[in-house]
Amino acid sequence: MTNFFYVSPEQLIKDRAEFAQKGIARGRSIVAAIYDVGVVMVAENTSASLNKISEIYDRIAFAGVGRYNEFDRLREAGIRWADGTGFTYSREDVDARALANYYAQHVGDMFTEGQKPLEVEILVAQLGSALRPTKLYRIAYEGTISDEARFAVLGGDAETIKSRFVAAQSDVAPLAETLRHAVDALSGPDRTIEVVDLEVCVLEDRGTRRTFNRLSDQRVGELLGP
Amino acid sequence: MGLPLFNASDDPGPSFATFAERAGLVGAEWGSTSSTHATTVVAVRYLGGVVMVADRQATSSYIASRDVRKIEAADHNTAIAISGSAARGMEFIRMAQLSFEHYEKMTDSALSLKGKANYLSPLVQRNNLGTPLTVIPLLAGWDPSYNDGRIFEYDGAGGCYERRDFATIGSGSPFAESALRLGYRTDLDRDSAIDLGALAVYEAGDNDPSTGGPDFVRNIFPMIVTIDERGFAELPDDEVRRRFATINERRTQSQGVAGGSLR
Repeated sequence: MTNFFYVSPEQLIKDRAEFAQKGIARGRSIVAAIYDVGVVMVAENTSASLNKISEIYDRIAFAGVGRYNEFDRLREAGIRWADGTGFTYSREDVDARALANYYAQHVGDMFTEGQKPLEVEILVAQLGSALRPTKLYRIAYEGTISDEARFAVLGGDAETIKSRFVAAQSDVAPLAETLRHAVDALSGPDRTIEVVDLEVCVLEDRGTRRTFNRLSDQRVGELLGP
Repeated sequence: MGLPLFNASDDPGPSFATFAERAGLVGAEWGSTSSTHATTVVAVRYLGGVVMVADRQATSSYIASRDVRKIEAADHNTAIAISGSAARGMEFIRMAQLSFEHYEKMTDSALSLKGKANYLSPLVQRNNLGTPLTVIPLLAGWDPSYNDGRIFEYDGAGGCYERRDFATIGSGSPFAESALRLGYRTDLDRDSAIDLGALAVYEAGDNDPSTGGPDFVRNIFPMIVTIDERGFAELPDDEVRRRFATINERRTQSQGVAGGSLR
């Protein structure tokens, strides 16, 4: 005979949130920030092939922290959604807000109804155009979606990193400066992150339809300076 | 469309065509035979690349359009051309372009040229065996792994064949093919390959009622593209015009007779 024990909804949510937070806190954080002509995303990532930041569409990028297999599946679904929507309607109809909402619904459903909540936090970044503004949408493990004004931090240590970034940079700046502040915020005062351990991607207009660009270690080194 | 999530066991992978079918984005194959789109497209290999030339006419029972673009860049170093049904051809190009990009984004690595060529086979097969609205593509590209220009042609059932010299598709093929057979050499440079390709399409336009030749009245000329180490590039209008004007002038001098030497 199976016994069912009563667990209050409050307790259930608390347990699930704790579980997800713990999983997310194990990984390294990501900083995404709007700079004068684009969006830069910076992750601390020792792997050169298992990416945390990727291209979704012409002007949309994805970043994820937490369990790799879980956010990579969301990344693939995002690319399929974007390419499918662009194929059915038109390229200009692919909107990051719609994708962020779908992500939020799915992550939220998994949090309340799944076997276990997803241990991920994701970001959908959109580079502005004549049609749409530049946006950073952050989706947390329980499905809350937030529209971040100038920069967003994903991961366990988000609050500390956020305050470090705010202290260093009070307004939108050029790429090199923004990148330096983002890296400093990620590393903190007691530590330096090697260039090879950084994954840096940007969304920036360069005269082509696609705006996503993964910066090489050399380029990141140049931007950070000596 | 909702968020397309799949289980690991039924995941369509990085193939956009498989995903599109699974998600119901592409419809069932029905159709009539009324909207055809006759064509001549040629591709010629030269030392360092491939040149492609295509006429601009769309034909049903009358001339439906005089400025159709039958060659498109499938990605940075691949060109795709179509003959057959216009509607299906345009969708085919869209599907190919999107598929190559989709694969690149999903896997973070570009498909090989051979991989792109093989990918089109089942698309041709599915289209042509399921509907009378036939489409025959022609794929040409610069292969960075071989440092060479390569051409892939297809038969109606989707068979994919690599050509080391030249290839033609469309209703004007017999005429274009003859010109190419006579004029092709293995050591063609870019300039002579462009002239030969242009001459082949000129011949087809001269003989095939469904292929448009150079139109000096409306200033519409067959489109010419090259794909080499630097990627896909379309020749500017005035250069295309100049090359066709030269051929036309020669032909006027000889009173319409090509014979004697190849001109």
